[in-house]
Amino acid sequence: MATIQTLHILNKSPDHPRAARCLEMVSEDDGLLLTGGGVLFLATGHLSGPGKVFALSPDIDARGLGEFKGSNAELVDFARMVELSLEANRVISW
Amino acid sequence: MSESMPERNNEGFLEDAFDWTEGVAAVIAAEDEVELTEKHWEIIQFLRSFYKEHEMSPPSNRLFVKAVKEALGEDKGNSIYLMQLFPGTPAKTACRIAGLPRPTNCL
Amino acid sequence: MSTLIMIDQAPYGAWTGREALDMAFSLAAFDQPASLFFTGAGVNWLRQNQEAGGIGQKSVEKNLSAAPIFGIEAILADRAACETYGLDENSLIEGVTLVDADAALLNDYDHTAFAG
Repeated sequence: MATIQTLHILNKSPDHPRAARCLEMVSEDDGLLLTGGGVLFLATGHLSGPGKVFALSPDIDARGLGEFKGSNAELVDFARMVELSLEANRVISW
Repeated sequence: MSESMPERNNEGFLEDAFDWTEGVAAVIAAEDEVELTEKHWEIIQFLRSFYKEHEMSPPSNRLFVKAVKEALGEDKGNSIYLMQLFPGTPAKTACRIAGLPRPTNCL
Repeated sequence: MSTLIMIDQAPYGAWTGREALDMAFSLAAFDQPASLFFTGAGVNWLRQNQEAGGIGQKSVEKNLSAAPIFGIEAILADRAACETYGLDENSLIEGVTLVDADAALLNDYDHTAFAG
Protein backbone atom coordinates (compact mmCIF):
# COMPACT_ATOMS: atom_id res chain seq x y z
CA MET A 1 0.00 0.00 0.00
CA ALA A 2 1.26 3.45 -0.91
CA THR A 3 2.34 5.65 1.98
CA ILE A 4 -0.26 8.08 3.22
CA GLN A 5 0.99 11.63 2.92
CA THR A 6 -1.29 13.24 5.46
CA LEU A 7 -3.68 11.35 7.70
CA HIS A 8 -6.64 13.58 8.56
CA ILE A 9 -8.28 12.39 11.77
CA LEU A 10 -11.79 13.82 11.88
CA ASN A 11 -13.82 13.43 15.07
CA LYS A 12 -16.30 16.21 14.32
CA SER A 13 -19.85 15.43 13.20
CA PRO A 14 -20.97 16.52 9.72
CA ASP A 15 -22.70 19.68 10.99
CA HIS A 16 -19.50 21.00 12.62
CA PRO A 17 -17.85 23.81 10.62
CA ARG A 18 -14.44 22.18 11.01
CA ALA A 19 -15.68 19.02 9.30
CA ALA A 20 -16.27 20.85 6.01
CA ARG A 21 -12.87 22.53 6.29
CA CYS A 22 -11.22 19.16 6.86
CA LEU A 23 -12.84 17.55 3.82
CA GLU A 24 -11.63 20.44 1.63
CA MET A 25 -8.07 19.74 2.71
CA VAL A 26 -7.96 16.01 1.85
CA SER A 27 -6.02 15.33 -1.34
CA GLU A 28 -5.37 12.28 -3.49
CA ASP A 29 -2.47 10.78 -1.51
CA ASP A 30 -4.06 11.47 1.88
CA GLY A 31 -6.07 9.35 4.26
CA LEU A 32 -9.23 10.42 6.05
CA LEU A 33 -9.84 8.61 9.34
CA LEU A 34 -13.31 9.09 10.78
CA THR A 35 -13.60 8.74 14.55
CA GLY A 36 -16.13 9.91 17.14
CA GLY A 37 -18.91 11.99 15.60
CA GLY A 38 -17.02 11.88 12.30
CA VAL A 39 -18.34 8.37 11.60
CA LEU A 40 -21.78 9.96 11.10
CA PHE A 41 -20.50 10.86 7.62
CA LEU A 42 -21.19 7.22 6.75
CA ALA A 43 -24.90 7.92 7.36
CA THR A 44 -25.08 11.23 5.50
CA GLY A 45 -23.19 9.80 2.51
CA HIS A 46 -21.35 13.10 1.89
CA LEU A 47 -17.94 11.59 1.23
CA SER A 48 -17.15 11.87 -2.44
CA GLY A 49 -13.77 13.58 -2.19
CA PRO A 50 -10.30 12.18 -2.92
CA GLY A 51 -8.19 10.14 -0.49
CA LYS A 52 -8.74 6.79 1.13
CA VAL A 53 -11.38 6.71 3.87
CA PHE A 54 -11.04 4.78 7.15
CA ALA A 55 -13.55 4.60 10.01
CA LEU A 56 -13.08 3.49 13.60
CA SER A 57 -15.23 0.43 14.16
CA PRO A 58 -16.08 0.85 17.88
CA ASP A 59 -17.32 4.39 17.16
CA ILE A 60 -19.58 3.02 14.43
CA ASP A 61 -21.01 0.41 16.79
CA ALA A 62 -21.57 2.97 19.55
CA ARG A 63 -23.76 5.00 17.21
CA GLY A 64 -25.74 2.06 15.86
CA LEU A 65 -24.36 2.57 12.34
CA GLY A 66 -23.69 -1.11 11.62
CA GLU A 67 -25.81 -1.02 8.47
CA PHE A 68 -23.38 1.50 6.96
CA LYS A 69 -20.30 -0.65 7.54
CA GLY A 70 -20.35 -1.94 3.98
CA SER A 71 -20.04 1.57 2.57
CA ASN A 72 -16.94 3.20 1.13
CA ALA A 73 -14.82 3.27 4.29
CA GLU A 74 -12.25 0.68 5.43
CA LEU A 75 -12.99 -0.32 9.02
CA VAL A 76 -10.19 -0.09 11.57
CA ASP A 77 -9.83 -0.94 15.26
CA PHE A 78 -7.82 1.03 17.83
CA ALA A 79 -4.61 -0.88 17.08
CA ARG A 80 -4.88 -0.25 13.33
CA MET A 81 -5.62 3.42 14.04
CA VAL A 82 -2.30 3.72 15.85
CA GLU A 83 -0.51 1.96 12.97
CA LEU A 84 -2.04 4.33 10.44
CA SER A 85 -0.92 7.32 12.48
CA LEU A 86 2.62 5.97 12.53
CA GLU A 87 2.66 5.04 8.83
CA ALA A 88 1.50 8.44 7.62
CA ASN A 89 4.09 11.11 6.91
CA ARG A 90 2.10 13.56 8.98
CA VAL A 91 -1.12 13.62 10.95
CA ILE A 92 -3.71 16.37 11.34
CA SER A 93 -6.18 15.94 14.20
CA TRP A 94 -9.22 18.05 13.35
CA MET B 1 -16.34 -13.16 55.58
CA SER B 2 -16.64 -16.04 53.12
CA GLU B 3 -17.83 -13.87 50.24
CA SER B 4 -14.94 -12.31 48.34
CA MET B 5 -16.04 -8.74 47.67
CA PRO B 6 -15.61 -7.06 44.28
CA GLU B 7 -14.04 -3.62 43.95
CA ARG B 8 -16.03 -0.73 45.41
CA ASN B 9 -15.68 3.06 45.54
CA ASN B 10 -15.23 5.17 48.67
CA GLU B 11 -18.99 5.25 49.25
CA GLY B 12 -19.34 1.49 48.96
CA PHE B 13 -20.84 1.35 45.46
CA LEU B 14 -19.62 -1.42 43.16
CA GLU B 15 -17.19 -0.27 40.46
CA ASP B 16 -18.77 -2.74 38.04
CA ALA B 17 -22.49 -3.48 38.33
CA PHE B 18 -21.94 -6.88 36.72
CA ASP B 19 -19.76 -8.04 39.63
CA TRP B 20 -22.93 -8.17 41.71
CA THR B 21 -24.29 -11.35 43.29
CA GLU B 22 -26.95 -11.95 45.92
CA GLY B 23 -24.16 -12.68 48.38
CA VAL B 24 -22.58 -9.30 47.66
CA ALA B 25 -25.97 -7.67 48.30
CA ALA B 26 -26.23 -9.37 51.67
CA VAL B 27 -22.77 -8.13 52.72
CA ILE B 28 -23.49 -4.52 51.71
CA ALA B 29 -26.92 -4.64 53.35
CA ALA B 30 -25.37 -5.86 56.60
CA GLU B 31 -23.06 -2.82 56.58
CA ASP B 32 -26.17 -0.64 56.46
CA GLU B 33 -27.80 -2.80 59.15
CA VAL B 34 -30.49 -3.86 56.73
CA GLU B 35 -31.77 -7.42 56.94
CA LEU B 36 -32.95 -8.43 53.49
CA THR B 37 -36.52 -9.73 53.25
CA GLU B 38 -38.74 -10.65 50.28
CA LYS B 39 -39.83 -7.00 50.12
CA HIS B 40 -36.22 -5.86 49.76
CA TRP B 41 -35.45 -8.44 47.09
CA GLU B 42 -38.41 -7.30 45.03
CA ILE B 43 -36.99 -3.76 44.87
CA ILE B 44 -33.44 -5.04 44.32
CA GLN B 45 -34.56 -7.22 41.41
CA PHE B 46 -36.46 -4.25 39.99
CA LEU B 47 -33.30 -2.12 40.14
CA ARG B 48 -31.19 -4.86 38.55
CA SER B 49 -33.56 -5.09 35.58
CA PHE B 50 -33.86 -1.30 35.39
CA TYR B 51 -30.08 -1.06 35.08
CA LYS B 52 -29.93 -3.77 32.44
CA GLU B 53 -32.52 -1.97 30.36
CA HIS B 54 -31.44 1.64 30.83
CA GLU B 55 -27.72 1.42 31.77
CA MET B 56 -28.24 3.95 34.54
CA SER B 57 -29.48 4.23 38.11
CA PRO B 58 -32.56 6.33 38.77
CA PRO B 59 -30.74 9.69 39.11
CA SER B 60 -32.53 10.95 42.21
CA ASN B 61 -34.70 9.77 45.05
CA ARG B 62 -37.83 11.22 43.47
CA LEU B 63 -37.15 9.43 40.20
CA PHE B 64 -36.40 6.20 42.07
CA VAL B 65 -39.83 6.43 43.72
CA LYS B 66 -41.41 7.30 40.37
CA ALA B 67 -39.79 4.34 38.61
CA VAL B 68 -40.86 1.90 41.35
CA LYS B 69 -44.40 3.27 41.19
CA GLU B 70 -44.44 2.83 37.42
CA ALA B 71 -43.29 -0.80 37.71
CA LEU B 72 -44.83 -2.07 40.97
CA GLY B 73 -47.70 0.31 41.71
CA GLU B 74 -48.48 2.97 44.26
CA ASP B 75 -48.30 0.66 47.32
CA LYS B 76 -44.57 0.24 46.78
CA GLY B 77 -43.77 3.30 44.74
CA ASN B 78 -44.01 5.76 47.62
CA SER B 79 -41.25 7.28 49.70
CA ILE B 80 -42.48 6.03 53.08
CA TYR B 81 -42.49 2.38 51.99
CA LEU B 82 -39.07 2.69 50.37
CA MET B 83 -37.59 4.57 53.32
CA GLN B 84 -38.70 1.83 55.70
CA LEU B 85 -36.93 -0.76 53.56
CA PHE B 86 -33.85 1.29 52.70
CA PRO B 87 -33.03 3.79 55.44
CA GLY B 88 -31.09 6.97 54.78
CA THR B 89 -31.61 8.15 51.22
CA PRO B 90 -33.57 5.19 49.82
CA ALA B 91 -32.25 5.55 46.25
CA LYS B 92 -28.64 5.53 47.44
CA THR B 93 -29.05 2.69 49.91
CA ALA B 94 -31.05 0.55 47.49
CA CYS B 95 -28.70 1.16 44.54
CA ARG B 96 -25.68 0.36 46.68
CA ILE B 97 -27.20 -2.95 47.79
CA ALA B 98 -28.34 -3.75 44.24
CA GLY B 99 -24.84 -3.11 42.90
CA LEU B 100 -25.82 -0.13 40.75
CA PRO B 101 -23.77 3.06 40.32
CA ARG B 102 -24.39 5.91 42.72
CA PRO B 103 -27.49 7.93 41.72
CA THR B 104 -26.03 11.07 40.16
CA ASN B 105 -28.26 13.65 41.80
CA CYS B 106 -28.39 12.34 45.37
CA LEU B 107 -26.41 14.31 47.93
CA MET C 1 -44.70 25.87 32.91
CA SER C 2 -43.67 23.60 30.07
CA THR C 3 -40.10 23.26 28.92
CA LEU C 4 -38.65 22.06 25.63
CA ILE C 5 -35.06 20.87 25.80
CA MET C 6 -33.23 20.98 22.48
CA ILE C 7 -30.37 18.63 21.71
CA ASP C 8 -28.54 19.53 18.50
CA GLN C 9 -25.21 17.80 19.08
CA ALA C 10 -24.22 14.27 18.14
CA PRO C 11 -24.12 11.72 20.98
CA TYR C 12 -20.92 10.52 22.75
CA GLY C 13 -18.63 13.39 21.66
CA ALA C 14 -19.48 15.77 24.49
CA TRP C 15 -21.19 15.68 27.86
CA THR C 16 -23.61 18.52 27.13
CA GLY C 17 -26.29 16.23 25.74
CA ARG C 18 -26.27 13.97 28.79
CA GLU C 19 -26.48 17.04 31.00
CA ALA C 20 -29.53 18.18 29.05
CA LEU C 21 -31.11 14.78 29.48
CA ASP C 22 -30.38 14.99 33.19
CA MET C 23 -32.03 18.42 33.32
CA ALA C 24 -35.13 17.06 31.59
CA PHE C 25 -35.27 14.15 34.06
CA SER C 26 -34.92 16.60 36.98
CA LEU C 27 -37.81 18.70 35.70
CA ALA C 28 -39.90 15.54 35.40
CA ALA C 29 -38.90 14.56 38.95
CA PHE C 30 -40.63 17.72 40.18
CA ASP C 31 -43.61 17.09 37.92
CA GLN C 32 -42.75 19.97 35.60
CA PRO C 33 -43.85 19.18 32.05
CA ALA C 34 -40.76 18.64 29.90
CA SER C 35 -40.18 17.37 26.37
CA LEU C 36 -37.05 16.66 24.38
CA PHE C 37 -36.46 17.86 20.84
CA PHE C 38 -33.64 16.42 18.75
CA THR C 39 -32.39 18.35 15.73
CA GLY C 40 -29.24 18.62 13.58
CA ALA C 41 -26.69 15.92 14.42
CA GLY C 42 -28.62 15.47 17.68
CA VAL C 43 -31.07 13.13 15.91
CA ASN C 44 -28.38 10.46 16.04
CA TRP C 45 -29.30 10.00 19.70
CA LEU C 46 -32.43 8.28 18.43
CA ARG C 47 -30.90 5.47 16.37
CA GLN C 48 -31.53 1.85 17.33
CA ASN C 49 -28.84 -0.70 18.25
CA GLN C 50 -26.20 1.57 19.78
CA GLU C 51 -23.43 -0.55 21.33
CA ALA C 52 -21.25 1.88 23.25
CA GLY C 53 -19.33 -0.66 25.34
CA GLY C 54 -16.42 -0.59 22.87
CA ILE C 55 -15.77 3.08 23.62
CA GLY C 56 -16.32 2.67 27.35
CA GLN C 57 -19.61 4.56 27.52
CA LYS C 58 -23.22 3.82 28.39
CA SER C 59 -25.69 3.67 25.52
CA VAL C 60 -27.61 6.95 25.23
CA GLU C 61 -30.31 4.91 23.49
CA LYS C 62 -30.83 2.90 26.68
CA ASN C 63 -30.60 5.98 28.92
CA LEU C 64 -33.21 7.68 26.77
CA SER C 65 -35.57 4.72 27.02
CA ALA C 66 -36.07 5.63 30.70
CA ALA C 67 -37.62 8.98 29.70
CA PRO C 68 -41.27 7.82 29.64
CA ILE C 69 -40.83 6.09 33.02
CA PHE C 70 -39.61 9.33 34.57
CA GLY C 71 -42.50 11.26 33.05
CA ILE C 72 -40.95 13.05 30.07
CA GLU C 73 -43.95 14.08 27.99
CA ALA C 74 -42.63 13.66 24.46
CA ILE C 75 -39.54 12.82 22.44
CA LEU C 76 -39.64 14.88 19.26
CA ALA C 77 -37.34 14.67 16.26
CA ASP C 78 -36.74 17.10 13.40
CA ARG C 79 -38.02 15.32 10.28
CA ALA C 80 -35.53 16.99 7.92
CA ALA C 81 -32.54 16.22 10.15
CA CYS C 82 -33.60 12.57 10.32
CA GLU C 83 -33.60 12.41 6.54
CA THR C 84 -30.11 13.93 6.40
CA TYR C 85 -28.78 11.22 8.72
CA GLY C 86 -30.60 8.36 7.05
CA LEU C 87 -33.04 7.78 9.91
CA ASP C 88 -36.53 6.44 9.22
CA GLU C 89 -39.26 4.56 11.12
CA ASN C 90 -37.22 1.36 10.83
CA SER C 91 -34.05 2.75 12.38
CA LEU C 92 -35.52 5.15 14.96
CA ILE C 93 -36.12 4.01 18.54
CA GLU C 94 -39.70 3.61 19.71
CA GLY C 95 -41.78 6.51 20.96
CA VAL C 96 -40.32 9.26 18.77
CA THR C 97 -42.65 11.76 17.12
CA LEU C 98 -41.39 13.31 13.88
CA VAL C 99 -42.14 17.01 13.59
CA ASP C 100 -41.23 19.95 11.38
CA ALA C 101 -38.97 22.38 13.20
CA ASP C 102 -40.66 25.74 12.95
CA ALA C 103 -41.85 28.61 15.11
CA ALA C 104 -45.24 26.94 15.64
CA LEU C 105 -43.54 24.09 17.49
CA LEU C 106 -41.86 26.44 19.95
CA ASN C 107 -45.14 28.28 20.60
CA ASP C 108 -46.37 25.26 22.52
CA TYR C 109 -43.72 25.73 25.23
CA ASP C 110 -43.18 28.43 27.86
CA HIS C 111 -39.46 27.86 27.87
CA THR C 112 -37.05 26.42 25.32
CA ALA C 113 -33.44 25.68 26.21
CA PHE C 114 -30.55 24.34 24.16
CA ALA C 115 -28.07 21.83 25.51
CA GLY C 116 -24.52 23.14 25.68
